[in-house]
Amino acid sequence: MATIGAEEDIRVVRSAPDLHLARLKSFFVSAVLICIMPAVLLAFWWAASTKGWVSAQVLPQPDWVLQTFLDLCANGDILAAAAVSFRRIAEGFLIGASLGFLFGLLIGKSKTADSYLGPTFRALAAVPSLGWLPILILLLGIEESLKIVILAKACFVPMAIIAAEGARNVPKGLTEVADVLRLRASTRFFKLTIPAMAPFIASGVRLSLSQAFVSLIVVEMLAGTDGLGYMMVWGRTLFQLDIVIVGMTVVGVVGFALDFVLKRAELLIRRGSGANG
Amino acid sequence: MNAFAIEHVSKSYILEGAERPVLKDINLQVGHNEIVAIVGASGCGKSTLLRLVVGLDADYRGTISWGNHDRTSASKVGMVFQDHRLYPWLTVQGNVDLAFDNTRLSAAERRDRTSHYLQLVGLADYAKAYPRQLSGGMAQRAAIARALAQEPEVLLMDEPFGALDSILRMRLQDELLSIWEKNKVSIIIVTHDVEEALYLADRVLVMEPNPGRIRDVVEVDLPRPRDRSDPAIAELKRRCLATLV
Repeated sequence: MATIGAEEDIRVVRSAPDLHLARLKSFFVSAVLICIMPAVLLAFWWAASTKGWVSAQVLPQPDWVLQTFLDLCANGDILAAAAVSFRRIAEGFLIGASLGFLFGLLIGKSKTADSYLGPTFRALAAVPSLGWLPILILLLGIEESLKIVILAKACFVPMAIIAAEGARNVPKGLTEVADVLRLRASTRFFKLTIPAMAPFIASGVRLSLSQAFVSLIVVEMLAGTDGLGYMMVWGRTLFQLDIVIVGMTVVGVVGFALDFVLKRAELLIRRGSGANG
Repeated sequence: MNAFAIEHVSKSYILEGAERPVLKDINLQVGHNEIVAIVGASGCGKSTLLRLVVGLDADYRGTISWGNHDRTSASKVGMVFQDHRLYPWLTVQGNVDLAFDNTRLSAAERRDRTSHYLQLVGLADYAKAYPRQLSGGMAQRAAIARALAQEPEVLLMDEPFGALDSILRMRLQDELLSIWEKNKVSIIIVTHDVEEALYLADRVLVMEPNPGRIRDVVEVDLPRPRDRSDPAIAELKRRCLATLV
């Protein structure tokens, strides 16, 4: 037995640096795997535009697009557009997600509220954010408030659904402990409900933000005078497809980065809230 | 004066349209500083009875009355469940501190009492640990500390050691008795372990299922500390098992 134990120890000691190396290796492998598809696309794009398969006006060459991107960065256009877009997301998210959280908490906690409000909410939620656009344009015009309302709605729905789910999933055993200990309402909220819901809230934040991001670009394309979405429409109007492609790339990369960061944050919160213990 | 009394308590569930009695005409008086054990096969309603007493379930017939309070001031009832039910996002200390939430104690007093009860259950060094870092026995001791910190007059325990191995169980039984000697508290402990009941209790209620009712009351008139292999205990065990099996 002692020998086996000793061997185990040696194996553990030896494997420690290996583990580090393996982790680094797997990081590079996944980084390479992630890059394969974009590289293929880029090569295809390059071939299509330089060999004249597609007219250069419709599909500009990658190096032109890169040049446009650098120009737009240099004169600050792209940054200004992005700043406008992100401010809209932030405002829409703050309003929509916080209201969605409260609403979800209400229908998750109270069966009565759920039977009164739940079906209507679910029916309205089934209409995609952009389905609201025609009527909202008539009501609000095409000004800033339209965009904020659309984004707030886009954040409200996923947040409310997930918050309700979270509120229903507060472990019954822990609620009974709160009853026996006669915890005050505020303690119950901050030390039981909120921590138990934390993983759900994190998912809600991630889903709301990605919904908001998708809706934002479309709403800016349809009814906007600034922002990333508008930049793309403007590029198409001028027949400057390089601007359109720059816009698409920025949106794609930012969307991917946003999702990546939020997924990481969600994982940390899930671990921190002791969902495993 | 009794710590509390259960009189003619009955309870039934409605299952598939039919009424299923779970508890039928339960009567029990528990004195101050008395330990009462309830043994019975699973499904005899012994856990349900504790839930009624602690107020987690108010749907029953009959009366549960408290020595010198009315029903609503049952704040002096603590409960330990079979699973520790510690809040995973709070430290051991944070969990025990919950017991003082509904009191007017100052922060300093809360801290003192928390460390007092953690000391009592032997977890002083683990105040800052999270529940997932504790072993099963330690987590259960933390849960006991949390229940004791409420300074209850009556402590209800629903198979508190049921999930632990037998050696740890015996050790915790001894700890429970030494805590009980230092703190004036009545204990009702539900268990399916007859030896545990006879080792701890002044009185053992033997329950029978369908519907849950008290079949026998065994007085354990033996001085503590008791010897687990005492022939008197063996004799009482035979009597309990004759009713149970």
